[in-house]
Amino acid sequence: MAVLNFLNRVFVEGFWKTFCVKWIWQTFCVAWVHDAFYIQFLCKKLKYDKWKGWVYLAPCIALLLVFTVWPIINTVRVSFLEGYDSLAAIGGETFDIGIGNFERVVNAPKFLTCLKNTMLLCVLTVPISTILALLIAVCLNAIKPLQRALQTIFFLPYVTNSIAIGMVFMAMFQMVGSNFGSDNQYIASAGIINNIIGLFGVEPINWVNANSSYGANIAVLTIYIVWNALPFKILILLGGLQSVNKQYYEAAKIDSTPRWRVFTRITVPLLSPMLAYVVITGFIGGFKEYSSIVGIFDAKMGAPGQAGTLNTMVGYIYDAIANTKHGIASAAALILFAIIFVVTMINLYVSKKKTHY
Amino acid sequence: MDELKEVLSEETEVSAEIETIENEEAVAPSEEADVLVQGVMHERDMKKVSAKQRVVKILVQVGLYAFLGFMALVVLFPFYWMLISSVKSVDEYNMNPPTLFPQKFIFHNYVESFNAANLGTLFVNTVYVGVVSTLISLVITVLSAFAFARLEFKGKNVLFGFLLATMMIPGELFTITNYQTVNNFGWMNTYTVLIVPFLVSVFYIYLLKQNFMQIPNELYLAAKVDGTTDLKYLWKVMIPLALPTLISITILKMMGAWNTYVWPKLVANDEAHRLITNGLRAISFVDEADKPNIPVQMAAVAMVSAPLFMVFIFLRKYIMKGVSRSGIKG
Amino acid sequence: MKVELQNLTKIFPSRNKKSGEEVVAVNNFTFTIPDGKLVGLLGPSGCGKSTTLYMISGLQQPTSGKIFFGEEDVTELSPENRGIGLVFQNYALYPHMTVRQNILFPLQNLRGKDKMTKQQMLDRAYEAAKLVQIDGLMDRKPNELSGGQQQRVAIARALVKMPRVLLLDEPLSNLDARLRLQTREEIRRIQKETGITTIFVTHDQEEAMSISDIIVVMKLGVVQQIGKPQEIYDDPINLFVAKFLGTPPINVLSGYVKDEKLYIGDAEIMTVNGVDDRDVTVAIRPEGFNLEENGPLVCALSNVEVMGRDVSIVSRHESSLNPVLRSIINADNKIDITAETVSFSLKPHKVFLFDAETEERIYFEV
Repeated sequence: MAVLNFLNRVFVEGFWKTFCVKWIWQTFCVAWVHDAFYIQFLCKKLKYDKWKGWVYLAPCIALLLVFTVWPIINTVRVSFLEGYDSLAAIGGETFDIGIGNFERVVNAPKFLTCLKNTMLLCVLTVPISTILALLIAVCLNAIKPLQRALQTIFFLPYVTNSIAIGMVFMAMFQMVGSNFGSDNQYIASAGIINNIIGLFGVEPINWVNANSSYGANIAVLTIYIVWNALPFKILILLGGLQSVNKQYYEAAKIDSTPRWRVFTRITVPLLSPMLAYVVITGFIGGFKEYSSIVGIFDAKMGAPGQAGTLNTMVGYIYDAIANTKHGIASAAALILFAIIFVVTMINLYVSKKKTHY
Repeated sequence: MDELKEVLSEETEVSAEIETIENEEAVAPSEEADVLVQGVMHERDMKKVSAKQRVVKILVQVGLYAFLGFMALVVLFPFYWMLISSVKSVDEYNMNPPTLFPQKFIFHNYVESFNAANLGTLFVNTVYVGVVSTLISLVITVLSAFAFARLEFKGKNVLFGFLLATMMIPGELFTITNYQTVNNFGWMNTYTVLIVPFLVSVFYIYLLKQNFMQIPNELYLAAKVDGTTDLKYLWKVMIPLALPTLISITILKMMGAWNTYVWPKLVANDEAHRLITNGLRAISFVDEADKPNIPVQMAAVAMVSAPLFMVFIFLRKYIMKGVSRSGIKG
Repeated sequence: MKVELQNLTKIFPSRNKKSGEEVVAVNNFTFTIPDGKLVGLLGPSGCGKSTTLYMISGLQQPTSGKIFFGEEDVTELSPENRGIGLVFQNYALYPHMTVRQNILFPLQNLRGKDKMTKQQMLDRAYEAAKLVQIDGLMDRKPNELSGGQQQRVAIARALVKMPRVLLLDEPLSNLDARLRLQTREEIRRIQKETGITTIFVTHDQEEAMSISDIIVVMKLGVVQQIGKPQEIYDDPINLFVAKFLGTPPINVLSGYVKDEKLYIGDAEIMTVNGVDDRDVTVAIRPEGFNLEENGPLVCALSNVEVMGRDVSIVSRHESSLNPVLRSIINADNKIDITAETVSFSLKPHKVFLFDAETEERIYFEV
């Protein structure tokens, strides 16, 4: 049934007819025909060579113009149109030019919540995941048997659907019961995590259910994001470690340098380019955090009854898009871009000073 | 701009290093160094020192394995929890303390979740969008990378620099206008809207271009002397030689289609075109009493995750190689 | 096939846009290569020899000038329509194809009336492989072959289309010394057997001398001298050519001519009739020395290297423009190794005089 429906849609919509045939085949044919011409008739190839590259790039450029270049221009334009609303714009309404969108975004309490959440998650997850990944990578590099197997295990979280596994984390932290936080609360099951920490005598914590605390929510998110971010960082850092010339370590051994000094004075400096890369991508990813929160807390971006408390910058932009408030969305997106840009530049500047090559 | 290029060149370095990961035999134990250390020591101290050293070494190794083992458990536990929860009954799932191994396996959860979430349609939709967008995207990527790597034309470097610069801009910035654009095109709730806007990936073009550049230019000239057309050369020489990179790109692109969430939710969230991740999040799995039915939900999650793991098991090498170069998830 | 180059010039635009200086890679090259000859383009790197080869192949377009194959003007033709075979310096074998597929590759591109059946192609490929003696290696991949074998595959691939002209870019530079000797004989043999007009580029004068029918010596885009190897060696047109050809290299000293006598330092060396009084650069081939007890050229002896049939005497002279003078003497001559000095007389036909400034040859009679 599903297949039938699907086939029906493919042919009714005529995706192949409209898109594939027109764009790809035309481009392909154009290139082919040109080559054929080129070989058989156009012996003066000089003139042809000058624009051949553009023929090959035509599909790429066409798509980029529509879906990359125009959006950049348009986003900047729309962000300076006061209260731009895409529905109203279709209705023929015109908008004044001004910086009202930016003012409204910066003064909106909702946006400030999002900014705070995003910053907090960044500041928590990037250092934790980087240090943890460094530790794991160094340990992995120091062992021989099982190295490959463990490496594969540590990479597993990467090949996951972050929404799907977010739901698993939610299930692990969730308590089953009713009326959480009130006097007549009833807990059927405290959940696996609460039971594990209960082994160490810790009282069950309301992590993600209704009336859970902001701190508990953020803790869960941090754990999940770190779990999710580890594989990439371990992969990069381990790759870096294995490329370090073993002679440095042997030289250090001859000087009987203590292990800790070897780590801080040799390993970390030699790894500094990889570390910088991992931190920069970590920050960029952190500022764009969205789907982890959707995975755990649903698209309402908060524990039940607390919608929006855990929203992020990206979430704010998407909400604005969905509400056709494109002026606001554009302004917020530009602010996000500016923040990412500045943070990246600071990172690059610092790492350039600290990087030892 | 220069910084960006630097970062990118680092990525390619890293990817070269992945090869060394693959080749673990190459990492020889540094016993020679130990011998050297001992050689410097005074001879009568040698026995004492080496005994002490051996104890320290063993302790360190035990510590390393303990730490790594613990971390591996932490990493694996959510997967384990997903699997055992998916075959528990609701009652067993709600027990306190939770059982670490199901008392009774209820595989019917999978059937239930497959029907409840309409997973069939979701799977077919996602695979279709994934395959089509990957194929077209590969064609575009190959043609563009070839033009940048091998053809000479005016404005090439400027254009390539511009492409790299767009990589710095967060995707959300494009989404706003693209949402309007696809609306104007009348593409809402179609497959087209899920495929077309993401066909060009600058990073993959960059990756492939670097790979193409490593192929000596003489091969191209030789093919020209032999009267080979550019496209035939591309097909017969460049593509076979760059196949590992192309496979990496394919897998990453497919994984991306599998995991995409935000854009489909905005533009194609109707029953007919919904993709797997949205479907999974949109449906609330409940039992007859309208209480959340986590085991059934976990069954759905497991089914969604399974293809990814299959791909990972069989094509691990390409994924890790590709990721170490890209660092782009999805 | 006769190959004719008329006023061939290639100018590359400057890389640095501001300075706007153009690079003249090849300047006004006119030359006719007779049919069936093996021609070596010889010169130091950057002299334009590879550019010339690429222009003949059609991979590069000349800025001005014309190229004729026989009577046909091919200047505007693209490479595949010229009927050439080109062997690249690094062979440019397709690494993922077997030897057979590599050799077949050019044939599969033929269209129209040249199109061949599969069997014809296989036969032709086998013939070409047999000619270069690699018919036993047809199913190997290039990385399973030695450098010399790869070279042969590349030649077979170039020959399989039965080109009118065969072009070789530094064909021996990627081979070790022993293979080089062997392969150059091989190239010579293949060229003789096929009778195809062959042009090859090299910076190694020994290579060029040993197998070429004709050598073209180039420097900075300008042709210096064209001729048979022995002619050029015996009669260089300027100091550059004299210095470039011959191993060990020619000895260069500064001297002057006075009253039709050649002086080096203060010693009168020999008579040079028909030369005005002037400063000259004297170039003497290593074999141009005679050991003579009271010879006019007295040098400080530094070393004697025994080479079996010959001995090489390394000595110093204050007028020498090279660090040492190297002379090759028959081993029958007795040399006192402990002596401080050694004296030579010169064989006049092994001595060349050049203008000290223009470095052009000054002819003299003995």
